[in-house]
Amino acid sequence: MSEQKKTFVVTRFDPDKDEKPRQQSYEVPVQPDWKVLDALNFIKDELDGSLSHRWSCRMAVCGSCGMMVNGKPSLTCKDALSNYGDRVEVTPLANFPVVRDLVVEMDGFMEKLKSVKPWIIVAKERAVEEGTYRQSPEELEYFKQFSMCINCMLCYSACPVVGNEPEFLGPAAIALGHRYNMDTRDEGAAERNEIFRGEGTVFACSYANECSEVCPKHVDPAAAVNQSKINAVIDWATSFVVPRGGK
Amino acid sequence: MRHLLLKLEPVIWLLFGQGIMIGTMLLTAYLAIVGLAIPLGIVPAEALSYDRALHLGASLIGRVVLFALIALPMWKGAHHVRHLSLDMGGLSRDVIVAPMLYGLALLGNVLALVAVVRL
Amino acid sequence: MARAANPHAMSPSRPGRTRTAPPQMPAQFPTQGRYLTYTLFGSTGILYLLCGFGALRAVWILGEHSPSAWQAFQREYATAPLIALHVVCFAAVIFVGVRFFSLFPKAQPAKIGPAKPPPRAILHAGLYVAWIAVSGGLALIMAGGIF
Repeated sequence: MSEQKKTFVVTRFDPDKDEKPRQQSYEVPVQPDWKVLDALNFIKDELDGSLSHRWSCRMAVCGSCGMMVNGKPSLTCKDALSNYGDRVEVTPLANFPVVRDLVVEMDGFMEKLKSVKPWIIVAKERAVEEGTYRQSPEELEYFKQFSMCINCMLCYSACPVVGNEPEFLGPAAIALGHRYNMDTRDEGAAERNEIFRGEGTVFACSYANECSEVCPKHVDPAAAVNQSKINAVIDWATSFVVPRGGK
Repeated sequence: MRHLLLKLEPVIWLLFGQGIMIGTMLLTAYLAIVGLAIPLGIVPAEALSYDRALHLGASLIGRVVLFALIALPMWKGAHHVRHLSLDMGGLSRDVIVAPMLYGLALLGNVLALVAVVRL
Repeated sequence: MARAANPHAMSPSRPGRTRTAPPQMPAQFPTQGRYLTYTLFGSTGILYLLCGFGALRAVWILGEHSPSAWQAFQREYATAPLIALHVVCFAAVIFVGVRFFSLFPKAQPAKIGPAKPPPRAILHAGLYVAWIAVSGGLALIMAGGIF
């Protein structure tokens, strides 16, 4: 099999040694069916064991391997090298602090996810004798696509608001909260809508739609965020009429 | 101020939404006819002669439409210019920029009301 | 080269144990690729403010109840710079309508109480029907076609 070489220009950053991130080039012999991640693993295995990058499942379900490839957010286990020319630039996810090389600080993202209370909230727990929740296929469709998020954070990297407004909850967190708001088993929409109108406000979204453009799982977080605006407004308007505390 | 802006956001967003929706539809006609077709002679100027323009504009529905034509695009404009400022890294100045822009739209709305009432 | 993002973007509430490099905006932001369309869309806000205040001025002049003032206004609108401005504004308004209407259908929640929106394709088409009806109707009235 003929060998093709591509040049990978990769961000390197060791906080103990580097004042700021720098770029390092690697010549990688690539196979035609390789993804970007295969090349990065080759670099680490054969060329430079000091390179640090996150990856796990290699099949676009774990969300670990998100990076910027040629300036765009990419799930590197899914992104084919044949999409790129002879020079491939790999940098850490935009809008995130960088811990080392291609590894970004994720804790801020985890805090935002948790802040939307992503669990079924009920006023009173169902007793076992009452049986299971019943949910029709139609009711499942209200929220199913928003439950497909793999937390890869590509949407956060694409969003201009995330980079400029640190308090903004962001696409994945809002989509996750919306997933629960639209779940017929859940009774916590009022609580979440208050969070959606708080400091992390869904209204900071300027509908760039970039989050949905880059999402590898077709979650369409932009739809979730903008549906949440309507739900939040209705909740806000009805709060003047209906006392709080109900469903 | 930031807290006030957060509290007012649902209202601002609703006005902005109508500014895009209704404002765009009304502006399309206004710009097409008043801004282009009449100045270019495609539509005769008599179509909006002083008498006819006043007759149309001073009707009840005319005043409502004119108010919407003036007022609603201002909210879309103010909101988007504010977001442009934020996009360019203007978070710290937002507490000044946002009230200025929304204040401008509010002023424009008040003047719009005066303008249609005095027709 | 990407520009710096807000230094606190995506920062956790408590700093980690090692020093981090500051966050960068996506490289194409704000004027490359799809971001250019987005930035232009936001920039139409300036034109909408102009159009709103322009229409205010027109109605104000009409409210002077002076035929000569109105005719002077019409002559002013027939000058090249204002025609050029109105061409740009008209293009902006069409651009805003098209982009907004393409984004509107998916922004409707699957259900609000008992109400459900129509299928997205129908909603999208309906928006264009409304646009043609409202704009066309108003344009016809202004142009002297009806009333």
